[in-house]
Formats: sequence, C-alpha cells, structure tokens
Amino acid sequence: MMSVFRSSRLLRAGVAAAIGMLAALTTAQGEELGPVPQIETEAARVELGKRLFFDRRLSGDAAISCASCHIPERGFSDGLPLSAAYPGSLGFRNTPTLINSAHRAAWFHDGRLGTNLNDVTREMITEDYLMNMDMRLMQERLKQDPVYVEMFAAAGYGEPSNGGVRKAIPEYLKTLISRNSLFDQGAMSDAAQSGFAIFTGVAGCSNCHSGARFTDDEIHNTGVPDNPEIWRDPMRHATFVAYAMFMGVENYMNIRRDPGAHVRGHAADGSDIGTFLTPTLRELTQTGPYMHNGVFATLEEVVDFYNAGGGDDPNKDPRLVPLELSKQQRTDLIAFLQELSGDPLVGPEFVWEEPIPTEYEIIDDWRDTPN
Amino acid sequence: MLKGKRKIVISAIGLAIAVPLLALQAASDENPPLAPLGDPPIPLDNPQTDEKIELGRMLFFDTRLGGDASTACSTCHNQEQGWAFSDDLSRGYPGTVHWRNSQTIINSAYYGKLFWAGSAGSLESQAPSAAKGAVAGNGENDVMEARLAFIPEYRELFDTVFGDVWPRIDNAWRAIAAFERTLVQTDTPLDLFLRGDENALTEQQLRGRELFEGRANCIQCHNGAMATDERYYNLGVPPALRWEEDAAAQITFRFEQIAKGVTEELYREIKDDAGLYYRTKEVSDMGKFRTPSLRYTLYTAPYMHNGAFWDLTEVVEFYNEGGGENEFSENRTDLIQPLGLSDDEIEDLVAFIEAFSGPEIRIEVPTLPPYQPLPNPAD
Ligand code: HEC
Ligand code: HEC
Ligand code: HEC
Ligand code: HEC
Repeated sequence: MMSVFRSSRLLRAGVAAAIGMLAALTTAQGEELGPVPQIETEAARVELGKRLFFDRRLSGDAAISCASCHIPERGFSDGLPLSAAYPGSLGFRNTPTLINSAHRAAWFHDGRLGTNLNDVTREMITEDYLMNMDMRLMQERLKQDPVYVEMFAAAGYGEPSNGGVRKAIPEYLKTLISRNSLFDQGAMSDAAQSGFAIFTGVAGCSNCHSGARFTDDEIHNTGVPDNPEIWRDPMRHATFVAYAMFMGVENYMNIRRDPGAHVRGHAADGSDIGTFLTPTLRELTQTGPYMHNGVFATLEEVVDFYNAGGGDDPNKDPRLVPLELSKQQRTDLIAFLQELSGDPLVGPEFVWEEPIPTEYEIIDDWRDTPN
Repeated sequence: MLKGKRKIVISAIGLAIAVPLLALQAASDENPPLAPLGDPPIPLDNPQTDEKIELGRMLFFDTRLGGDASTACSTCHNQEQGWAFSDDLSRGYPGTVHWRNSQTIINSAYYGKLFWAGSAGSLESQAPSAAKGAVAGNGENDVMEARLAFIPEYRELFDTVFGDVWPRIDNAWRAIAAFERTLVQTDTPLDLFLRGDENALTEQQLRGRELFEGRANCIQCHNGAMATDERYYNLGVPPALRWEEDAAAQITFRFEQIAKGVTEELYREIKDDAGLYYRTKEVSDMGKFRTPSLRYTLYTAPYMHNGAFWDLTEVVEFYNEGGGENEFSENRTDLIQPLGLSDDEIEDLVAFIEAFSGPEIRIEVPTLPPYQPLPNPAD
C-alpha cells in the first residue's frame, strides 16, 4: 500500500523522480518517502499514557507535566526559542516536536540516548532541570489516585509502578504520527511541487532530510550560529553547566558553545563538536522557532541560512555550499516545507481533556489497607 | 488481604538478645549527671572561620540549594519556630509533606548522630541528605553546584574559604555545618544554676528537678550536658494521626519505606515509623528513636519524632501513664513505667523542662546575592 501510495503521489507531484534519487531519500532504517507509517498501539495503554503525559504530579513539585513543554497545539513543542524548564531553572535547548519521535533511532538534539522511548521517558521525568522527580515518590503518588489504579490494571500493568509509566507514555507517543499533509495526499500546490524539486535537486536538502520523516537520523554539522541568550541568562547557562558537568564535557565552565553530539561520540580531535541530529521536517508550521537552540524564528530565516551555505564552522558538512537560489526558488522551497505539515494532533484522541486532580484522595481505613 | 490490628512480630532470637543487653546496661550505668553545656566539638577537618560561618549562614537561607529554588534549610528550620517547623509532620518539598517532625538545629552541633533515628554521622553529611531528599530539598548536586558558580559573591567566598576555583557543593555543606555549630545555647537557666547561680531556677523548677532525677527518673535517658544519652528507645509513641487523615502523608509514608529499602513484604504491611530499624534492619530496633536533647524544647512544639504531642504537659502526661502503644510495642523499653505523678507534680516537671531553654535565638536574615552572567573567558 505504501509503495502504491508513494508512486501515485510522485506522479501527481509531477516530479521526475529518478530511481537513484529515491534511494537517496531512504533513511538508514530503510524508511521510504511517503506518509509516516502509523504504529500499532493498545488502546488502554495509550489512554493511560495520555493521562500521565498531561499530569503535573509527575514532576517533583507537581508544577509541570510533559505537556507544559510539549504542547499539542504547537505540534508538541513549545513555541519558544529556548525551552522552559523545571521551576528554578531555564532550558538551553529548543523543545523538539514529539510527532513522529517514536520512529527515531536516537533522541535529543545531541542523540545522547540511543536505546528506546522507555529510557527517554525516564530521562525526562528524572532529569533535574526537566521534571526533577524521584520515581519512587511518583509511583506512590499514582497509587494514591483510584483512576490510575484502575487504568494501570486495565492496561495489564498491575498496580501503578515506574515500569508501567515508562511503558505507557511511549505507547501514547507512538500515536503521535503525522497525518494528512498535502504532501502525503499528493495535493501539493504548484509552488510546493517546484519547492520539492529544489529540495531534492539543486539545494541538496535530501542528502540529510530523507525518508518519510525527512531525516536520516544522523548527526551533521551545519554551523548553526550560537544563541547568545544561553550565556546571557545565568539560569540558562547554569543549566548548561549542570548538563555539561554530568555529560563529562571538558572545560565546561569556560566553553560558550553547545558541543552537541560530541557528548556521545567524544571524537578526540573534536570533529564532532557542533554536530546535531537531523530533525524531522514534518509539522514545521507548528514547531518554530527552529534548530537545536531556536536561533531562527521563521522558515525564511532557515532557508536564507542554507542559501548562504550554512553557518561558519571549520567542521561544517562540505555538502553545505552557497546555493544562490532566486527569491522565487526560496519561496517555493518554503511552500514545500509548509505542505509537509498535516492535521494538528489535538482533540480527545491526543489530548487528555478531563480535569486531572491536583490533590489526592485519602485511603480510608488506612490501617487495614495493605500498602 | 491483611485485616485487623497489625503487629510486626519480633523473632524469638531478637528478644533473647535484647533482654540480657538491657539488663547489663541498667546494671552497669551510673547516669551521667545533668551538666552545664560547654563549647561544641569542632572537627579537625572543618575548622571554624568567620568567612566560612558567614558563607554557611547565607547558604542556610538560600532556596537555590534545592530542586525548584523554593525550599531552603531555613524553610523547615525556621528561627521563628524554634529553628524547627511548628507542625506535627514537617512541611515538605512543594507537592509533598515530610513524614517526621522537623528537629531544631539549635545545639545539633553536639550530637554524635543526627536525625530522629541517627542516620547521619556528622553535620557535614547530614546537610546533603536534607538538600537532596525528595520530600525535603529535592536538589541534585550538579544543578546546585552549577547555580553557585553564577553568584559572584559566592565565588569569592568559596575561593577565600576553601580555595575553590569554582564553588564545590561539598564545601557548601561544610560551610553550613560551620554555621550550625554557632547555633548553640549554653546559658539557659539550668546552665546558670549548675554553674552556681542558685537563683536561676524557681522553687517550682527545683521541685521538678527532684522528680526528673528521682521518682520520674527521666535522668535515665535525658542525662549529661545535652540531656540525652544518645541511645535509641521505643517509648510507645503512637503513630501519626496524619497518616490516617492526609493523603499526601500516606504517599510519603509509603515512599519512605521504599527509600529506606524495606522488604516487599514489610512494605505491604507496615503502618508506623520503624525508626532505628531502617538503619540496622534488626526487628528489635523497630520503633526506636534517639533520645533527643531537652534543650531549647520550649520553642520546638510539637514533640516526638512524629509530633504526636502538642505541648510539654502532654509529653509529661504520656510519661506519667507509662508511655503508649505503637505498632512495635514488643520493643517498648521497660525503663518507662507509670509514674503516679499528681497534677501539681506534672506542672513542676514541665517547669523544670522549661529551664533547659534560654531566650529565643534570633539572627539577622542575610540578604542573598543574585545570579550574574558569567564573563566569557575568551573576551
Ligand atoms: C521542561 C520542559 C520539558 C518537559 C517538562 C518535558 N520535556 Fe521532553 N524535551 C524537552 C527538551 C528541551 C528536549 C530536548 C532535550 C535535548 O535535546 O537535550 C526534549 C526532548 C524530548 C524527547 C526527544 C525528542 C526527539 O526527537 O529527540 C522526547 C521523546 C520527549 N522529550 C518526551 C517527553 C515526555 C514523555 C515528557 C514527560 C514525561 C517530557 N518530554 C517532558 C523539554 C521538556
Ligand atoms: C548536511 C546535512 C543537512 C543538509 C544538507 C540540510 N540539512 Fe537541514 N538540518 C540538518 C541538521 C543537522 C539540522 C539541525 C541543526 C541544529 O539543530 O543545529 C537541520 C535543521 C533543519 C531545519 C530546522 C528544523 C527544526 O525543527 O528545527 C530545517 C527547516 C531544515 N534543516 C531544512 C533544510 C533545508 C530546506 C535544506 C536544504 C536547503 C537542508 N535543511 C539541508 C541537516 C541538514
Ligand atoms: C522540607 C523540610 C526540611 C528541609 C528543607 C530541611 N530540613 Fe532539616 N530536618 C527536617 C526534618 C523533618 C528533620 C528530621 C528528619 C528525620 O529524622 O528523618 C530534619 C533534621 C535535621 C537535622 C538533625 C537535627 C538533629 O537533632 O539530629 C539537621 C542538622 C538538619 N535537619 C539540618 C538541615 C539543613 C542544613 C538543611 C538544608 C541543607 C535542612 N535541614 C533542610 C526538615 C527539613
Ligand atoms: C527510656 C529513655 C527515656 C526516658 C526514661 C525518658 N525519655 Fe524522654 N525521650 C526519650 C526518647 C527516645 C524520646 C523520643 C521518642 C520518639 O520520638 O519516639 C524522648 C522525647 C522526649 C521529649 C520530646 C523532645 C522533642 O524534642 O520532641 C521530651 C520533652 C521528653 N522526652 C521528656 C522526658 C521526661 C520529662 C521524662 C521523664 C518523665 C523522660 N523524657 C523520660 C527517651 C526517654
């Protein structure tokens, strides 16, 4: 079905897609150009994960939930250049969209977690500057909520537990898949169609932005400029220091630049400093500002950046060269990027809309109820 | 399903060992007399200096040494509440309640072991567990240490005091410990009296003293200069009512069982604070707590590890009845027996306990220096 869909779309897009080019648009995982595949999930687990995702009691002081930073109406990002953080801190990176993140092979802008969403969920909940939650306390909070007691049982996880949370939230994340973009429907505007040709052709974007999600899931150095706000604001800089200290970054007090995936690769010659995972290009209309540090507010700025051959960095990917795209070509390219965005994932299918209590119910007859 | 009154059964072996030990102890001990309090011991590896104490004072009041920058040491050790917190169970980190009564830090410098169950060996090692515990400060070393680097006054003081290029979090605990060693009171009416000022105690207090050292026999445990033998006893202090009435307290109660590493089986059954047991995992230590000092107690109500009693009269009435009942009553000390004190005698004893406290200790709350951007070394 996928392949039928793909070829019909390509035909309607009127792009002379050579076989070789299609190969370039195939990710390391063999993901092919076309709609992002939906993932099979189990309803009771998704429902549980959805409620947890919107529940502030999952953070240490019960002030924020996953949805405080990953806001459905903003494509599960937050609309800020640099993310907020747990109270008392501020973030030093842009909040990425969670749409299609279940298809990734590694997570975070630096790709520092390469296992699974179960671990990503734990990281989000326990990280000091994100949700700062002792999961043992979280478990006891959940056990105090009769709705969760029921939902965990219905999901087949037994009583509320850390393990159950780390399974249920990923199950919910798996439902956050792009759908119905004009691109997927083969209904792109003329401008977008010509933008697509530029994207895969002269601009060479598909060297890295390939496959259904438009990412090769690899790291590259594009020379994105620094965001000075990180170093200007002590609350953000302090968060960076805590992160860099924990990740074992050398000389972390004196650097003024996000080392990116160097924290994972630790290349001795520093050649991986400033590399970041290629992000998906789906849902861009909802997820600005752009790049790991939100330095670009608009897609115009992003395209101007690439048109100039990317940023200034000795280790920049050699494929990034000045493109000399005309004004029209740039407008078309942006039209194409915009038509990669589909239906917003809002409404009851994706959002827990019933109120979630902030208080807990007393266990009556406590002395005679086993813990 | 467990039903009915829950009791943790002590193994026969536990009992067999406990009884002869107690007998030995009672036979060999002359109770050290009450004595005036001298200067606190200062550890060789953390000497007091003015700058260190000043730094410690600032850090003690600084909410940034905690997860969400809302809860300082001084939040739960409030000088207007006896350097403790005036509720049965201490307030907790936001979104939580603590599970024990907050202790005063006045004179904590003299204890060999800190906390109600003695789980910390020094003020230096107590402070981080307070700042990091999920229902206390909920901070993490890396974030707290990073924050300190962005406060120029702290950078300077850590450099002067410890020679730190960048403030080190371990040194923050040392500075706080040094500050705590200044929070002592050595001139209570009882100190003055014991140093020879015969007018320092009232007639009523003198009658109370006689009971304390005589018929009421408080001196068995509350002895020496600190009025504590620093041993651990189960007096039968009843479990906290809050656990039956407050959902947040129920949550923390269960969390603490997990955090303290009890077995799955015990986790399911337990409904009371097992105290010293969490450290030793000896069933015979269940429900035992460190004898606290009686100094400064005039200001630290409510009393006992869970704040079960709201004033000193209630405490003395509890002793007068020969203690109480809790989930681990098998471990109750037999040093506590019904006393048969009259109402007047109870008042006398309370008056004497009040002689363990001098005037309230108040200090100026420091103005805390703000964050500043860090200059770029490349500029
Ligand atoms: C305080 C804001 C904040 C909160 C709360 C938060 N996140 Fe995130 N999330 C971020 C930021 C910022 C990143 C990127 C971090 C980085 O690259 O270092 C991120 C990254 C992610 C990623 C990786 C996405 C990718 O494509 O690499 C996932 C998945 C994720 N978050 C899920 C969650 C879940 C689930 C929760 C709740 C348990 C949550 N987040 C709570 C800010 C937040
Ligand atoms: C060499 C690989 C590579 C090429 C070629 C490339 N990109 Fe990127 N792209 C990346 C990486 C890596 C990032 C993330 C950089 C960062 O966060 O600092 C990125 C980020 C983006 C973003 C921001 C997405 C977001 O959510 O923040 C957009 C939009 C984008 N690229 C579009 C394009 C376009 C259009 C082209 C062609 C003109 C292109 N890219 C060419 C690797 C590449
Ligand atoms: C959220 C409230 C809270 C905060 C914040 C807090 N404490 Fe405490 N503190 C308590 C409670 C409750 C106890 C008794 C706990 C126990 O025995 O388990 C205690 C006990 C102590 C003791 C032991 C006293 C004794 O007699 O043994 C010291 C010393 C102390 N705290 C110092 C500190 C310092 C230093 C900080 C800041 C780093 C701090 N506390 C932060 C509530 C708090
Ligand atoms: C067997 C040893 C023992 C004897 C005898 C004893 N106590 Fe205690 N006392 C303790 C212990 C242990 C605690 C803490 C118990 C707990 O929290 O569960 C305590 C707590 C107290 C407290 C509360 C202090 C605080 O900070 O909360 C007061 C007041 C007190 N005792 C007074 C007395 C008086 C008066 C007597 C004599 C009538 C007496 N005690 C006899 C061991 C003893």
